[in-house]
Order: sequence, then structure tokens, then C-alpha cells
Amino acid sequence: MGQNNMKNSNGYIVIEQRPDGKRQIQYADSDACTAIGLNPQTLPAMIPEQILEQLEATAVHFDANHVLLVLGPDAGQQIAELNRRNTVLEDALKDAEEVNKSKSRFLSNMSHDIRTPMNAIMGMTSIGLSHIDEKPRVHDCLSKIQTASSHLMSLVNDVLDMSRIDSDRMTLNEDIFSLADLIHDISVIVRPQAAQKNQTLQIEIGQIYEESLLGDALRLRQILVNIIGNAIKYTLSEGEIQVFFSQRPYDAGQASDQTSRIWLDFRCKDNGIGMSEAFLKRIFVPFERVHNDITSKIEGTGLGMSIVKNLVERMDGEITVESEEGIGSCFNVSLPFRVVSQNKKSLELPENSTILIAGSHGSLVAQISGYLRESGLVSVCMESGVQAVTWLTEAQYESHMPCAMLLSQELSDMSVLDLASHVRQLAGRDFPILLVSEQDWAQLEYRATRAGVNAFVPCPLFKSKLLETLTELTANGQGNNTSCGDQSKDLSNYRILLVEDIELNQEIAVELLSVTGIGVEVADNGAQAVEKFGAAPEGYFDMILMDIQMPVMDGYEATRQIRGMDRPDAKSVWIVAMTANAFVEDIRRTREAGMNEHISKPVDPDRLKEILYTQFG
Amino acid sequence: MQPYQEEYIANIKDIAVLTARKKPGSHTFEEYEEELLGAVKQVEQKVLRNMALLRDKLFPDLDHLLESSPQELQELEDFAGSLLNGKEEWDIGLFCQIHQALLTHARLTKDRRRMIKELYWLGIGRYNLYNKLIGLSMPLVQNYISAMRLCFTEAAAYLKYFDEIDDSETKGYILRSLANISLGRYKTTGEKVQQVRKTLQILQDDEYHGMAPELPWDRFIYMTHQQMAASISYSKECPMTPQDITDIMESVYIVYQRRLQEATDRNELPPCRPAFSYYAIEYYCGLDTLDGLLTKIEHLMDTADTADFSKDSMYTLISLPAFYCQFLKQNPEMLLKREEYVESLYQRILDYMADFPENLQDETLFLYLRQLSNTFVETKNSISYGSFLLKLLVRFAPDTYIHSYTVGKTAVALCEIILSEEPTFFDDMEEIAEIEDMDEKRQEILGLAMNCGLFHDVGQINFLYLYSQTGRQWFAEESEMSQLHTLAGAAYLSERKSTFRYAAAALGHHSWYDGSRGYPDTYQRLDCPYRQIVDIIGLTDWLEETTATITRLYKGVERSFDETVETAISLEGRRFSPLLTARLRDKEVVNKLRQALREGRSEACRKLYREYSTN
Repeated sequence: MGQNNMKNSNGYIVIEQRPDGKRQIQYADSDACTAIGLNPQTLPAMIPEQILEQLEATAVHFDANHVLLVLGPDAGQQIAELNRRNTVLEDALKDAEEVNKSKSRFLSNMSHDIRTPMNAIMGMTSIGLSHIDEKPRVHDCLSKIQTASSHLMSLVNDVLDMSRIDSDRMTLNEDIFSLADLIHDISVIVRPQAAQKNQTLQIEIGQIYEESLLGDALRLRQILVNIIGNAIKYTLSEGEIQVFFSQRPYDAGQASDQTSRIWLDFRCKDNGIGMSEAFLKRIFVPFERVHNDITSKIEGTGLGMSIVKNLVERMDGEITVESEEGIGSCFNVSLPFRVVSQNKKSLELPENSTILIAGSHGSLVAQISGYLRESGLVSVCMESGVQAVTWLTEAQYESHMPCAMLLSQELSDMSVLDLASHVRQLAGRDFPILLVSEQDWAQLEYRATRAGVNAFVPCPLFKSKLLETLTELTANGQGNNTSCGDQSKDLSNYRILLVEDIELNQEIAVELLSVTGIGVEVADNGAQAVEKFGAAPEGYFDMILMDIQMPVMDGYEATRQIRGMDRPDAKSVWIVAMTANAFVEDIRRTREAGMNEHISKPVDPDRLKEILYTQFG
Repeated sequence: MQPYQEEYIANIKDIAVLTARKKPGSHTFEEYEEELLGAVKQVEQKVLRNMALLRDKLFPDLDHLLESSPQELQELEDFAGSLLNGKEEWDIGLFCQIHQALLTHARLTKDRRRMIKELYWLGIGRYNLYNKLIGLSMPLVQNYISAMRLCFTEAAAYLKYFDEIDDSETKGYILRSLANISLGRYKTTGEKVQQVRKTLQILQDDEYHGMAPELPWDRFIYMTHQQMAASISYSKECPMTPQDITDIMESVYIVYQRRLQEATDRNELPPCRPAFSYYAIEYYCGLDTLDGLLTKIEHLMDTADTADFSKDSMYTLISLPAFYCQFLKQNPEMLLKREEYVESLYQRILDYMADFPENLQDETLFLYLRQLSNTFVETKNSISYGSFLLKLLVRFAPDTYIHSYTVGKTAVALCEIILSEEPTFFDDMEEIAEIEDMDEKRQEILGLAMNCGLFHDVGQINFLYLYSQTGRQWFAEESEMSQLHTLAGAAYLSERKSTFRYAAAALGHHSWYDGSRGYPDTYQRLDCPYRQIVDIIGLTDWLEETTATITRLYKGVERSFDETVETAISLEGRRFSPLLTARLRDKEVVNKLRQALREGRSEACRKLYREYSTN
């Protein structure tokens, strides 16, 4: 207690209440002795009651038997001040102790969290080494090591981020980014995690005004992935997570350049384990984590939410969270972004063009339909493959084919790829087929393109992405018999060597190929093909369509001779076998001879063009 | 038809006879074995001849299809027609191949009439393919159903222009396609009933009748009622609405009355199939109890003539028991008092199969046998499921039986070699690890290896037309379909107590050791406790298949035993377990395996000899 606090005091007396009811001075300082005429040497002394009653003093009870009397006119205020300061100091001590405990807990957790993946890495390395000849076992160990390492890396990254934030070294970048791409990227990251736990993860978008934004996309992604990742982590298997994105205009008066800013609102709601009211207050405190039986098995540093909060604040945004234990949590994040004005591509489809939508997913079909309507297009919706094929057959008969078919995620009666495969035959190669799906395209691409799908639009669906892809595809497509005009992708920069002995087949193939603008040179048999290829400058032919059964030299031998030539393009030129020989051995023989692909005869023009566009498109 | 087409079909018919069961008669075993080997050689020659015929004649024809005259196109149609018709199924793969080519031709030449016709026939071909997939789950067969249904759907879509089409044949194809949209499985009975209902409405519409009075409308309507009545077969799996039941009941009644009348006119007993539908719908309507229905089915089965091998009798003696057992599987409480009956039922079926004339094996029989295998019920004293499946192989797929038996024997030989060096090699299997007595452990492992070998290809029951009767090398689509035998086999085996331990071998024997290739995707080697035994079956199956059986011709792979061993070593750590291929470097081991293969084949032949001599 400093001297300054005592400047208006006339002294202190400590009085003890004895068991016989009498009161006795236990201590009095010199000021008090002077004030009440006591000799400090004669203490302890009994004090007459009347003296005590006359004293101008404030009593502070230490305990049931001891009282401190502070003498003086403003002693009450002084004591209140002392009490307040004491409280502040006690709180500060508590906070410091709490932070210290959190840090200790963090260190303990970190040690555990680091040790867990490290144990896995060391254990798996040792198992892998002891089974070095068993490739699958080693592969399994390596993939587990990879998982553990990336977890370890994310732990270290979190700690580094937190340290950057603490030391004010974190800066935000400003780059143009596409909100559509960003949400798709996030979706690709988090969907597999949710799928692993059989959770339903809905990612939906509401009103979006601007898709090109200026900001730190990397940090935005970090915020969103962290929140959704937590929702997945803290929601039990089979649970539900709903993610919703929307935009709203920047309020008037919030910024001078308000017209060029927009709020991005993000909501993530789950029916997970939720948080107690007490924890909710500490959720953004570093190193804090919910502790119970369920969460003890969940890995994490307890830094994620703190980083999120800091990032949101640095972006001038807001984050709120509501949660109830056992019911679930809901995070709301609002972030302002500057808008980038870009020249939007105009839709090149004539107004009232028809698009067929095949899908049974009600809300997605409604969304696609709405976007098309807003763009002046007419949509026809079919929920089953059978309905779609019936409608297309009628449309073809009546020569009013739609401009394209959009396949939504699912149909009521079959897989969308089965439908695509049949429609590709029915409607021809140039008929655009788009797949709208929340699945990762990288995983779907091989099967989808084989089935005849031309393009992919990711979910959650953005109007701009849908129209952009549609425009691109219909502009490139042949549009034969469709109401979209008659356009074809120009392949005039490419040249093909057609090796075919039958004149009529030559004519038909040249006719088919001419639509694409591709340059075609013809050889009547394998020997001629070898000669023509050998005489042409390097890289002259981009593809060879090779018949198999031909006089003079067959396709197998011609291919072998071409592949055997000493020039770089002899190895790389794409050679497609055209043959009616359909045995598995025949197909194998074409591969063994060095051909890249196989096409059945009679040549289906759609399949032929598919190969061309896959190679050159 | 052209001469080569006739020769091709004659060869296929010969192959069917050559690959069928051969009773030894008065032959000694040695003579019998020689006869079997002779038959295999003849089959090989005929397969090679057929491939040459297709390569030299058919494929060039398809190559020049755009130049073909209408007569040549018609000849192709006729050829396809004799490969698959209402009565016989000789080569469904080639049937589809030809009709696919003809459809492409029709699309290219924009010949709508032919397009409708080809869509119909291609749909029929695909329906027959789909029928091989009984027992497999919906996701696995969905693409076959969709491919079939979309062909019929596209052809049926021309109904809208019925009045613009001027030939009756095309109109007939449109209506038949419309009716066939409801073929195959649907997700619910309701969907199927709704589709049939829609077809019936159109077929009963006077306006359409007026546009083509010459068409056999009554027949179309009657057949559609038959389809509606057939919806009953899987209705218990999916609850029906009152409207569905009413519709089915009406159709069942119409079909039953008509068949009853026809039978009365011919002085015959009422046919079994409509009678079953009639009884079943009474049960579904609540007019009868399940117990009552089962008793009526028993009566139908008991009164069937076991010396009659017509389709109707086959239905009563093989397919109806499948439905009967399906009811028991779904209501196990009903099984208790019927165990004895079930036991005698299976015995009766086995006797019937044993007496089945050699030359009468048709696809309908195989379809019914697949249904029966799929709904088999195991009881305390009945034949075990495993023995039943083996009887099927012995009776209808002797070549597959010989292969499976040989694989089992060779696997046993390899296991013995491994056990002599590493007694705990198989301890990944908990039940094996728990056995302390080494001799007992050894016996258990060898028994398991033999049975895994015997059952690893049991899924081929679904694809006998590919494995036993194909008169040529497979097409790519067939090769892809044949892969489903692993899933079909695992589905059969995993569901029954007596066979579930062999399911992993059926599932995983074509999967590569490193998981990089092979099939099916659902087999995860590292998660499978039986992986060591599956690896062994995978290797011995490869050794046997590429060196001995006719399958190598279908797959276009042919190697000598030494070449196969060499190739197996070159695939070490990729296709085959290095723990096994390491042993193939030892000449003594290789010789033991060579001997096991040879002896295994001979033993299998002897088993067939004994079996066929007594039956």
C-alpha cells in the first residue's frame, strides 16, 4: 500500500473483540495514538467505548473478531478505492493465471497433438521398413505418413499464424478473385471430410450481386474452411451442416466509395455437439477447446477460431456465434469486399432458346431454371431419363431440338451418365450436354466425357458460370437441327491423315471431317500412309485415322513402321484404329501395334468427332 | 443367310453340345477322360473357326456397311435373328453387336423406320444381357437396365407420330417397345405398375386401334397384362398402394382366366404361373394368409410332372421353389414347420436337374437356376448351399467345375509348401491363429484352400453363356461384364452360413496385389483377413486359366505353364504377392505346382465320371 493513498488519513487502529465482550486495541499507528491520546508503548490497552464512539472513522471488518478503523473524514472513499484496485489486481492475477493455464494446457495439448502424428510417422516408417518388399503395405504406410505429416504441418501453420497475429506481422493481400471459384474450391476441400462421416453438407447460395471481388482470397478461404471444418469435426456422423452464402449492398454512409463495396455474408449452421454458454464466451480465446469425451478424440490446437476472429477483424468484418450444447452451433461472418467491375460476357444464345434440364433434384432444377429464365431462355424440365429421351426424340422428329441439355445431379430412374450416353447417340456429337454437379470434376471427368458430357458446371451453382459455359459450348457446337444456329468449332489448324481403302468410306469420313474445318489427306493403304507420313515435314500430321484391313499393307504393320521411324513425331502422333474387328484381342493388337485409340466400324460420326475434339478441342 | 452365317450358328450349336455334360455310358474312366479332352479340342477348333469366319466375313461386312444393299442388310438382320430369338439364345453378344451397327447405319442414313426397329432389337438384346445379372444389387445392374430401357423409350417416343407412320411393322415395334419399357427392375413396384398401367391405357385406346386395325391388339394387351401380373414377383420388397394391387389383381385375373380356358380346351391342368400369381395377389390383398399361400404353392409344386422338361414345368419345378423360398427367407418363422418339406424340395430339384436332357439347356433354365441360387434357404438337414452350388457346376458347367477343382488342389499344394516353411503364415485369420494344435491348423487351412478354390468362380453361374458356351473370343463389353462374376459369386457365398468363408476368394481373386489394377473395386486387400488365401487363389487361378481351360481362348491369352510362371514372377509385387512369387523361383516348387495342376484336372474328371455314372 503506497504512502500516497494515505495522505488524508489520521491513522489506523486494529481492534480485537475478546470473548468477554470487551474490545482491546491490538495495534495503532502513531497518527492514531496522537489522535486519541494513547501511548504507543502501553498497547495493548482497553479502550473506553465513548472514545470509540466519538472517533470519525470507517470500520473495515477483517473477520468476526477483528476490525480495522481508519481514522479521518474521507477514509470511506479511500477504502473503496483500495477495494477497487484490489479487485482489478485480483482479476489481472486471475487472467494471468488463466492465460498461463491455457498456455500450459496448449503446450500439453501441443505436445500431445504433435506427438500423435509423430508417433504415427515413426511407427509407420518402421512398419514400412520391415515390410519393404510388400508394396501395398509400404504404400499404405506412406499414405498414413502423408496424412500425419500434413496434420503436423497444419498444427505448425496455426501456431505460426497465431504468432504472426500476436506480433502484428500478418498482412492481407488484395487480389481479384472469383467468388464462384472460391466456393467451389472450398466445397471440394470440405465435402470429402463430411462424406467420411456420412454427414449431409448443404452448400447453398442466395442473392449474389458481384462475383469478382478484391481481397485476400487465401485468408478468406482459411476463415471459411476453418469454420466449416470445425462444424464437420464437432458434428456427429449422419449429422447435418448447412452453409449459406449471400451478398448485400454496403450501407450508405459506411464508406465514401460505397458503390464499389459489398458485404459477403456467410452462415454455417450445424446440429453438432454445440457449446456451453461458458465456453461460448471464450471461444475466440487462443488455445481454448471444448473438453469432453467426444472432443478428446478430435485433433486441433484450439487456435483456429482465434485466428478466424483475428482475420475477420483485420478484414473489417464481423463474426458472431450462437450455440447450444447438444443442439448445435451457428456461425455468422460478414466481410466487406471491394467489387471489381468487369466486362461481363454477354449470352450469345438467341432469346427464347430452349434448354432441356434433366434432373430430379428439385431445388437445383428450380435454380437452373430461374437463371435461364432471367437470361431470356426457356427451360424444359424432365425428372427422369425416360422422360428426357421421349421429349428429345419428339423434338428431333419435329426439328426443334433444344440448344443444350443440362444434367442435374440425379434423375429419378437412372444415373445421369447413362442418360448422357444414350442422348449422345440420339442427338449427335454437336449437341451440347452439360453436367451440373457438386462432385469433384477431377474424379468424374473420365467417366463423364466417355459418356458424352461436354462440360461441367460446379455446385453451388453460379449464374455467371452456368451462362458462361453454356455460351462457350453452344458457340462451339455444331447445333445441327437445334434452334441455336449452325456453328462448328474450327479445327482448321489441324491436319489428319486418313488411311482407308474403301472409296465410299473415304468420302464419308472426309465429309464428316470437313465440317470441323480440319485438313484431310488420304492414303489408300498402309504402305501409302507410311510413305506420306515419312515424306511430310515433322509435325505435319496431327492425327492418323488408320483402317486395319487394307490391301498391300494392313493398319497394324503401317502403324509399326510409322512408330519405328527415326523422327520425334513418329512416336507422338495420335493414331486411331478404325475397324469392325471387335474382339478383345483385336483391340489389344491395335494397342500393341502402337495405336492410341480404337473406333468401331461403321464409323459413328459422333464418336469420331468426340475423338477429334478430345484431342484438339 | 449367307453360308458363313449358317456355319457360324452350326458351330455354336455344336459347341453347346460339346461343353454339356457327357454321361460316361459304358466307357472306362481313361476312355471318358480322353473323350473329354477330345471334346475340348473340338471346341477350341470350332471357336477358332468361328473367329476366322467373323474376321474374314462379318467384320468386313460391317466395315462396308454403308455400301451394303438392302438385301445384305436383311441378311445381317436374319443372322442376328437366328442368334437370339424367342426360343433360343445362341450368341447374345454378337446379336447386340450387329444391331448396334445396324442402328448406327439407320441413324446415319436417317432411316427412321429402321431406326425404330433396331432400337427395339437392341433393347431386346440388352434385356437378355440384364437377365444374367440376377442376384446382383441394383447399383451394379443399373447401367444395363438404363441402356435397355432407353432403347425402348426412344423407339416408343414415336407413338406421338403413330398416324404419320404408314407401315404396320414399325407401328408394331413402337407398341412393343412401349410395353417393354417396363421390363427389368424398378426402384419400387409402384413405378413399374405405373409404367405398365400407362401402356395398357394406350393399348386399350380405340383411337390408336383405329390408326392400325391390322395389328394384334388383343395379343399386345394380353402380354401387357402378363407383365403386370409378373410385377407380383418382387412386390413384397416394396409395399404397394391399393391402386397398384387393384391393377395387378385385374391383370392376374385376366391372365388366369385365359390360361385356364386354354387349358380346359386342351383337357390339361391349369398352368402353374398364372395360378401362382392368382394365389399371391389374394395373399397381398389380405384374402389369404401367408401360410395358406405357401400351402397352395406346395400343392402346385407337388403336382408338377418331374418327367416334363417344358418351360412350364421348369417354371413349376425350379422358379416357383425360388419364390417359395424367398417367402421363407423373408418370414423365417414360417420355415420351422416346413424344414422337412424344404429338404425334400431341394432333393426333388436336384433329381430333376440330373434327369434334364443334355440338349435342352436353354437360357430360361439358367435364369430359373439363378433365381433358385439367389433365394436358397439352408436348413439343418437339407443339402448345404455349397453342395448345391457345386451340383449346379457339375451339372451345367463341367468345364468351370474342372477348373475350380484344379485351382483348389493347386492351392492346397501351395499352402502345404508354405506351411512347411512358415506355420503361422495364415494367422491373419483369427480363427486360424486361435488353433494351437499344428496338425489341426494345417488341416483347417488346407480345407479352406480347397473350398476357396472350388467356389472362387461360382459367380460364373450367372454368365454360363460367356464361360461355357461362347463360340468365339469375347467382345470388350463381354469382357467387362464377365468381371461381375466376382461380385455375383461373393453375393451368393457371403449370405449363407456354410459358404461365407469363401466369399473373399470369390470377390478378390482377380484383384491385383498392389491394388493398382484388377477388379472389383470393392475388394480391399489390406482390410481382408483372408488376404493370404485370396492371393493364393488369385495365383493358382491364373496358372490354371492361362494354361488349361478354354477361357484363355475367349480372353485371347494363351501361354505355356513355364511362360505363365515366368510372367507371374515378372508381375511380382504388382499383380501377385511377392511372398508367393518368391516361391516360384524354386524349381521344385514349380514342379510340384505343375504336378498338382495335372493331377487336379485328372481328379476333377474322375469326379465327374463318378457323378455322371451314378446320375
